[in-house]
Amino acid sequence: MLSVEAVSKTFGGVQALRSASLACEAGEILGLIGPNGAGKSTLVNAISGVLKPDTGSVRLGGKEITGHGPEYCARAGVARTFQTIRLFKDLTVRQNVEVAHITCQAVRPEAAARIGVDQLLAQYQLDGFADVPAGTLSYGSQRRLEIARALALGPSLLLLDEPAAGLNEGESETLAVAIEGIRRDVGCATIVIDHDLRFINRLCDRLCVMDQGQVIASGQTEMVWRDPRVIEVYVGQSETS
Amino acid sequence: MSQAIEETASAPAAVAQPRAALTRSLIGGLVTSLPVLVVGLLILNFAPTYYTYLALGAFVNLIVVVGLQVFMGNSNIANLGHSAFVGLGAYGVAILSTPLAMKKLSIPHAPFGFATLQLDPVSSALIALIAVGIVAAVSGKVISRLSGVAATIVSLALLIIVHSVFLNWTDLFKGNQAFFGIPKVVGLPWMMVFSVVVIVLARLFKDSRWGLQLRASAQSPQASAALGIDAKKLRLMSWVLSALICGLAGILYAYFAGTISPKLFYFQMIFNTLAMLILGGMATVTGAVTGVIVLSVGLEFIRSIESGVTIAGIQLPQLLGLSGVALGVVIVLCMAFRPSGISGRYELDELLSRFFRRNAK
Repeated sequence: MLSVEAVSKTFGGVQALRSASLACEAGEILGLIGPNGAGKSTLVNAISGVLKPDTGSVRLGGKEITGHGPEYCARAGVARTFQTIRLFKDLTVRQNVEVAHITCQAVRPEAAARIGVDQLLAQYQLDGFADVPAGTLSYGSQRRLEIARALALGPSLLLLDEPAAGLNEGESETLAVAIEGIRRDVGCATIVIDHDLRFINRLCDRLCVMDQGQVIASGQTEMVWRDPRVIEVYVGQSETS
Repeated sequence: MSQAIEETASAPAAVAQPRAALTRSLIGGLVTSLPVLVVGLLILNFAPTYYTYLALGAFVNLIVVVGLQVFMGNSNIANLGHSAFVGLGAYGVAILSTPLAMKKLSIPHAPFGFATLQLDPVSSALIALIAVGIVAAVSGKVISRLSGVAATIVSLALLIIVHSVFLNWTDLFKGNQAFFGIPKVVGLPWMMVFSVVVIVLARLFKDSRWGLQLRASAQSPQASAALGIDAKKLRLMSWVLSALICGLAGILYAYFAGTISPKLFYFQMIFNTLAMLILGGMATVTGAVTGVIVLSVGLEFIRSIESGVTIAGIQLPQLLGLSGVALGVVIVLCMAFRPSGISGRYELDELLSRFFRRNAK
């Protein structure tokens, strides 16, 4: 579904991405992890069109979407949430979801017909707040609304940038169940960035570990944790080296 | 949370939903224009001529403010140039519809054969609106690429450009002098009809998918881009619609007053209408209507005490310029204590239905 090939990006003198590559299939949940500053968010921005990579290509379902801008990528089927929540605060909860659904109706009418706004609200436990301004929701509800809104776009790729940040254990467990539900019901490719490794391990089929702008390991979740380079990044220099 | 999403609204229901929303929006617009109709009818039937004349001016302001709301309320960009479009509409019909005998006196050297052209008021109005639309589309191309302060400054520059053209292209616009002799074909009934039409139109736009997406993009440009929303296109759309409504206000003004001059369509009008919109609340069409009603009445009251009145045997001194001061004070107080204006976030019909639902419980 998604294939990112050798994407590089330099800001001033800093090389934020060095020939990063990854792939994610439909129905798969890929965890993107790495220490702060590893380039995870930059990579997400390159995939969602916010940043134009210096070199390399991003393809979605075989279609080139590199550097066409966020509006184009969204219409092509990339939906995302943000590290810091970005809701339309003065619009109602329902309107937040409707805004995304309008785009979906325009570009993917068959997908839009399958998605019901009210149903999404119910699935994410927001139906009781449908007519209140989104800005008045609790933090956890705002996180859920952001995901519901992204799904209303009828995406083939869903990018979740730190969805569990600031959630307590119970809430992040509920969130993990919800994301598994997306895999089953929507079947889109899903990439999850998070620092909560328990959350990531529980959820992801495969992991992709980044450090200093490079993908240093990727593969099945259990395999990746045996990789010495990953251990080095996460645990620090091992004593044997 | 994890039920399947497959079975959803069947096709007919999916069609019925937007239609129901459209009806709701239409009814909402009509409810909002109800106070305007009531005030208009009262004046039409009971008020002396002087007040009818005042009311006509207030109705023109109403249409301007509603036009302003279409752009400002949805895009959240301050517009300081809208009276340029009011002026273009007014001068458009003045040049096209003024009788030839009058033109010989006022603009005998008009270019493009306008000196020898006289159209009926309706065709003149349509052509004037097309001209306004063209100017709006061109200026909107620039403004829609910008946002925030930059867009506001460009709108101000547009006002100054158009005003300079009115002043200095004397062959066509008669410069600083009053342009008179425009056929007086519009009275209070027509003014009311157009007010209602414009209010409903503004409401339909606000509730439409474009209006909703535009309001979203004003709140988070990043999130709206990530949902595939083309904010530039929507800003352009609302700018042109806003300009056409303002142009219509100018046309109606010219047709009821019969005489226009450039200074009518300059800063004074910008301040007046902006104060009305801010006071009423720019997020809603109801706010635009409320602001016009409250400030029109308020300013008229202040004007009446400006010249010095006697209250309980005490002669108050003349307070010339008091209305200007009051206008400024209104904007300052409103910004400080109630930035969302009198009506806040909800339309009149939404407030009413909330009120009744709460009482029903």
